[in-house]
Formats: sequence, structure tokens, C-alpha cells
Amino acid sequence: MLKVRDGAPDPLGLLFERYKKPLYGFFYGLTREKDLSEDLVQNTFLRILKYKHLFRGEGDFRAWMFHIARNVNNDHYRKKRINAKEELEDWQDKLGHQENSSTEMQRADEHQLLSMAMERLPLDKREVLLLSKYQEKKYQEIGEILGCSEGAVKVKVFRALQELKEVYRQLEKRM
Amino acid sequence: MEKNLIAELISKFNGGVANPKEIQAIEQLIESGSIELDQLIVLENLDQQVSKLDAGSPSRRLDDQFYKLLAVERNHHISKTTSIPKIEWGNLFPRFALATSFLLVGLVGGFFLKSPTEDTSVKLLTQQVGELKEMMMLSMLEKESATERLKAVSLSSDMNQVSQKVTSALIKTLNSDENVNVRLAALDVLMNYAKDSDVRAELIKSISIQDSPLVQIALAELMVALQEKKSVSELKKLLRNEKTAKEVKGKIEKSIDVLI
Repeated sequence: MLKVRDGAPDPLGLLFERYKKPLYGFFYGLTREKDLSEDLVQNTFLRILKYKHLFRGEGDFRAWMFHIARNVNNDHYRKKRINAKEELEDWQDKLGHQENSSTEMQRADEHQLLSMAMERLPLDKREVLLLSKYQEKKYQEIGEILGCSEGAVKVKVFRALQELKEVYRQLEKRM
Repeated sequence: MEKNLIAELISKFNGGVANPKEIQAIEQLIESGSIELDQLIVLENLDQQVSKLDAGSPSRRLDDQFYKLLAVERNHHISKTTSIPKIEWGNLFPRFALATSFLLVGLVGGFFLKSPTEDTSVKLLTQQVGELKEMMMLSMLEKESATERLKAVSLSSDMNQVSQKVTSALIKTLNSDENVNVRLAALDVLMNYAKDSDVRAELIKSISIQDSPLVQIALAELMVALQEKKSVSELKKLLRNEKTAKEVKGKIEKSIDVLI
């Protein structure tokens, strides 16, 4: 990244190859849309290029990248806020359809159930769990991304996992 | 909080029997670092399952988009590093004025502060170049190619002053080079140093050694030009030599007449 910052764009290809999948996973975990997730990955790398001079090289590149990714995601939802109500209704319709579809639920294995439970978590809780996953539980760095202490991150993860466990149980009961 | 109480809280939580107050206490202990998340086994298992969730991989579309972006950035980078900066004459004018004034000051200062050692340095440099030329010339005279030897001889004609080494090499060339043109060229150069008594003596000695009519005639003419009476005996040797051409003998006789 330091080479990219100093003006050579080629090493960005290496960073892209290394981080495109975790970034995609992060966005997909938040949006559940493949094309949108790819666009957000692309936007993240665009911003990395745009703000490369701000990378000081002292901290972890991955943490800096996820900080940008988070902003990209927030900006995306901010732009979409006008249509938020409409989207929420669509999402609820979709959810209602999934809940009523007993055959689909029956087919769902443990992972699918967990995936569905994740989908039903509030965005902030889903985000902290995805950051914990893709930042490999480096809570101090997640704290830098979220702007809070390491202890506060742990509490956020605790609460998110508590809620995930609850949603998972409810889904399990309905199966 | 005591360790036992913390262990009890963890145990209750893992057993699924912790009440809201106890959960609140656990949160505080997590924040302070007294409890680690991996101690809460149920949540730890869930967290591990979340880590195993595979979101799949992005499609080729993302690669295509990204590498297009990278190509644009690379071109931008190249054009930025190779582009000639735009000249702003307005900004340059004061710089030119300043540079010119510095140059003038330097020239004037240089003229008055001319170092006395400068002439010595130039002389030393000229001497070194001369020595280099000599070395090159002597080396070229040893070459098999007559053209190279001719070049060597003409190189010595450019020198203002030559060492004894060079004149000796030229005399040797005049006496023994197999090529007539090279010998004539050597003679042509040696004429310039004929004022030197040693060179002149060698030239006189060379008369009877020569077998080429052209060189013989050239030497006879040179002796006449130099009014060198000491050469008469050598010229007479040529006259007595049966191998000397008739035309040459006629020329030599005329030269001897002039010299006597």
C-alpha cells in the first residue's frame, strides 16, 4: 500500500486480489445483493486510490480498508434513503414469503438458518459481527474502524451474538 | 469482583440461566477485560459458525471493472510523470533576470580573480593530451595495416612538439617500412624537424638505405632544400649503386651539382 501511496498504481492489483473476497463477503453480508456488493467493492478501491495519501503506513491496511468500506456502505444507504420505505416494504414482503414457505425452511440446513438469522439482525449488529469475522477478531482495530474502545467493541459483539442466538432459536422453532 | 463470582456468572451464562441483571454484569466485565468472549462457550460456538459462513466469491465482472480502473490510473500516472510542465513566462522572467545577473557577476569576478595556477593547469592538460597522442601514434605505427601506419604518421604531423621517441619512430619507419607511401609520409613529417641536427644526420644516413626511387628523389630534393653538403657522400653512394634507377641517378647528379 505504501508503494500505491507513493504513486505506483500496479501494487493495488495485489491488494485487490488479496482482499476482494473478504470485502465482497462483508458487503454481501450487509446487503445480500451480489451485484451491489461487487459495485461497493469497486467503490472501496476507488476511494483507496483517491485517499491513498491519507494512509500513513503506521496501522494495519486491512483495518484502514474496512474503515473505507464502512463509509462506502453508509454513503450507499444514505443515497438510497429516499427509497428506504419502499425497500423496507419489499424486504418485509420477501421475509414474509420466506417465513411462510415451510418447504424452504425445511430444506434449510444449519448454515442457511444462521445466514437467515444474520439477515434479520439490525444493520449495526450485523456489521460488527462481519467486521469481527473479516478482521479476524482484532477488536482493537475494529475499535479504530468504529471509533470506540476495544472493550466497547467486545460488548457490541456480545450483544450482537446474543441477539443472533435469539433469532436463530426462533427460526429453529418454526422449522 | 472476585474470581469465583466471575466464574459463577460465566457458568450461569453458559448454562443459559443468567438473568438480565447478571447479563448486564457480564457486559461490564467484558468491557473491563475481566471476561473474554471465548469464555462464553455458547456465543463462541455461534461466532465460529458465523466465521464459517461463506458469502461466495465475486464474479469476473468485478475483476473486469477493477482492472479497467487500474489501467486508467496507470495511464494517468504515466502521463503525469512524463508530461512537460507548462511554462509560465510571467513567473520565469524574474528567474531569468536573476540568473543573468548572477552569470554576469560570475564572469566579471572570474576575469579579475583569474587564478595564476590556471595557465599551469591548462599547460599540464595540453601536455597530457600530447603524451596521449604520442602513445597512440607509436602504438599505431606497429600495426600491420599500412593505412593505420599512414594514419599514425599523419597524427604526428598534427603535434606541435614531439619527443625524441616520436622522431626515432618516424626515422625507423622511413628506413624500414615496407610500404613506400608510409615511408614518404614519414619523410614528409620529418622535414618539419630537419632543423634538429640529430634528425638531419639520420636523414642523411637514410639516403643510401633507400631502394625506392620516389623516396630517393624526395630525399635528394630535401637535401638541396636544406643545403646539406654533408649529404653529398651518401648521394654519391647511390650513384655508384647499380640498382639505382637511371632517372634517379640523373636527379641526384643535378642535386649534387647544386650542393657543391
